Amino acid sequence: MTALVLAVLLAQARLASDFELAQMQAQLARARDFQSQLSARLNLGDVRAARNETSLARAEYTTAYELAERERLVARRNSSLTRYANATSYAALAQAKLGRAATSFALLEEVARYASDDAESWNLYASAMRVLGHPRKAVSAARNAVATADEPLDLAVYQHALATALIEVDNVTEAERLLVTVTTALRSEKFAPLQQEAARQEAFEVYSSARGDVAAYVALLNRAQLRLAWLYEKRGATGAAREQYRRVLEGRSDDVVALTALARLAADDAERARLYAEAFEANPFSLALIREYRKALTTPQTDMQRALVHLERGELRAARAVLDELLVKFPANETLRGLRREAEGVAVVSLPSASPTSRELRALLEGFERLTPEQRAALDAMTFTSNVLVNGDRATIEGVPVTIQGTFDVHAPLTYRILGAAGDALLVEVAR
Amino acid sequence: MTWKRRAWLQPASPGGGRAEATPYVWLALGVLLQFSAFGQVLTNTSRGVVVAHDRRMELVGGWTVDGVQNATMIVAGGDRVVVLDALHNEAVVVELANGRSKRMKTAETPIDAAFVNGRLYILARDARLLNDMPLQADMLEEANGKLYAYSRVTGLLHEIGGRTFRLKPFAADLELDGTTAYLTYPREARVRTVDLTSGVIGEVAVGAVPVDLAFAGGGTALSARILAVADPSAKRVWLTESTQSTAAAVGRGFLRGVLGLGLFGDRASQFPTGVDRVETKGRLWIAYDSSSGTLYHFDRKQSRVLARNLAPHAFALTENGVAWWNGTSVAEKRLR
Repeated sequence: MTALVLAVLLAQARLASDFELAQMQAQLARARDFQSQLSARLNLGDVRAARNETSLARAEYTTAYELAERERLVARRNSSLTRYANATSYAALAQAKLGRAATSFALLEEVARYASDDAESWNLYASAMRVLGHPRKAVSAARNAVATADEPLDLAVYQHALATALIEVDNVTEAERLLVTVTTALRSEKFAPLQQEAARQEAFEVYSSARGDVAAYVALLNRAQLRLAWLYEKRGATGAAREQYRRVLEGRSDDVVALTALARLAADDAERARLYAEAFEANPFSLALIREYRKALTTPQTDMQRALVHLERGELRAARAVLDELLVKFPANETLRGLRREAEGVAVVSLPSASPTSRELRALLEGFERLTPEQRAALDAMTFTSNVLVNGDRATIEGVPVTIQGTFDVHAPLTYRILGAAGDALLVEVAR
Repeated sequence: MTWKRRAWLQPASPGGGRAEATPYVWLALGVLLQFSAFGQVLTNTSRGVVVAHDRRMELVGGWTVDGVQNATMIVAGGDRVVVLDALHNEAVVVELANGRSKRMKTAETPIDAAFVNGRLYILARDARLLNDMPLQADMLEEANGKLYAYSRVTGLLHEIGGRTFRLKPFAADLELDGTTAYLTYPREARVRTVDLTSGVIGEVAVGAVPVDLAFAGGGTALSARILAVADPSAKRVWLTESTQSTAAAVGRGFLRGVLGLGLFGDRASQFPTGVDRVETKGRLWIAYDSSSGTLYHFDRKQSRVLARNLAPHAFALTENGVAWWNGTSVAEKRLR
């Protein structure tokens, strides 16, 4: 078992902190043999994918495939058919992650001829089919893995894989039963030596391809509890769901999926704000987290949260400023790139009406630089009339910040021209 | 992709030696073929060679019709041919005489098919169905108008509409010859036989990792079947005389053992990375290496490469030779 590489794939967004990325890169630097290198590449690819860094993820998967392909042919030449089958399975998995369904399927069928008695091969078959969006094939392969497993930890891994595939074909009853079996077993005395070793090593990294029993145990417990919690939450068993999510955090306190879920289920705004902040510190690029947060904004405490709040309020200029700073630090991040595109707003900017609404003024503020020369000339010739709200040294028109040149009566509607945009405010001039 | 691979190859051929002499170059060629060689299947029919590729089906010199997205298997009957797409759960059946075709959705993972007494049977492995009948199996074979299905996981060999034989699981290949079934067991280095009449099970030790088998002669009232067994680990095709059924052996007064002759004697292997598929038609013998996509023609003394970079089901024996899909057209080589 120790020598095995266990593939444990996760459908939900996964934790992918910079620390974890660094750990995996260190793992790769130390890796010498085929399985270590392959495991490291697959892990890095999965982390990159979770961070929505698609190009970098594909590069890792491509390297993983090349490693596996080379290994399978060397093994074949050396008459080591077990090695050959194992390497072929991983070549198929890498191809699946690259989206090459036909090649992946053919390689998996090749393995089935040689190693239909090998539970790990069936597990990899199931993983590849899930990646490719064929959950019913994954269920069938996972059942074969469960049927041929012998070691308890292996069995738990394969039961988890089967449960995952079953969820995807809406067989949640059997999936929940399996996940209860898996989580109960993993927390039982039967796994006490692994629990103690995990605690001694302070192991908490969650890999998609875990090498060694301790790493596999930690990853599996994390994923199985997350899945079970999600099933509980889905059927309205909120208390049971919270308990499972908290158990995940006992294993690692910065699990972004558990933190997001607990924020979603939080009893009050203060708790929700704290949990969201912790989740964004763990992985600011998780699309699942971003989606959840945009539905229930809280007081922002991280840069990404600030960018999202600006986006949700239509404050695109301010959002762009925050996102541009983040992109300097993470230039390859697809999540940031996507948000940056969103912050560009609509391509065509319309001129406001004579008594402009908040939406019209905000659209002009965000898109001022994209006005055509003809629109600018028209704008220069236009006057507008609005009420101005002055609060200390801050003035707003319809909620949009403005900097006003000239004197005016704050108690009467102001007639003005719009000169430009500066920072997060429109520059206006009192019309004479 | 090709360019990148070649760039990677340069440092692996120090000294500018012949590319094919270095394992790295050879390996890289293997990598390249994987991207393009699947989704092509070919078979010989009563009307000629039929190939499925690139969403098309063609009878060489005859009709062309729309096929499936990713052809994984092709099976010919007397007057029809069916191509399966196990990935996308689809099948197209074509009448050989006129090219009239019928497309159908199948249950999950149509992995194999057979025409028996004019009826088409499709085995949907992951739905565990044979047409509409519940059945867990991976392989289908027909003999004497009867259909048999074997499950690698359960080890059960079902005669459809008949009895069930309990065998060891995890066989790689099933072949039928009259009333005997032959199964290869790679891990155990065994070929097991089942007398489908009496139910008696026998076994012979063959090579190191026997994966695929075909019939290479014998099988008369006075002689046992000669099996050609592909063994990629030994990099040989073994010729093995199968164990007689108990009834036949007792009748003849002795029990035949195993010849176990590796072809080509003790000379260096003729199959550099071994072969794992073998097909025969009379004295025509071909073998295939899935790892490199290489197709060989061989006899007892020698082998020679017929083609490289072929998909696992993109070749077939014809009446006088062998045909294969070379990526753009059907190539045929006369061997008699």
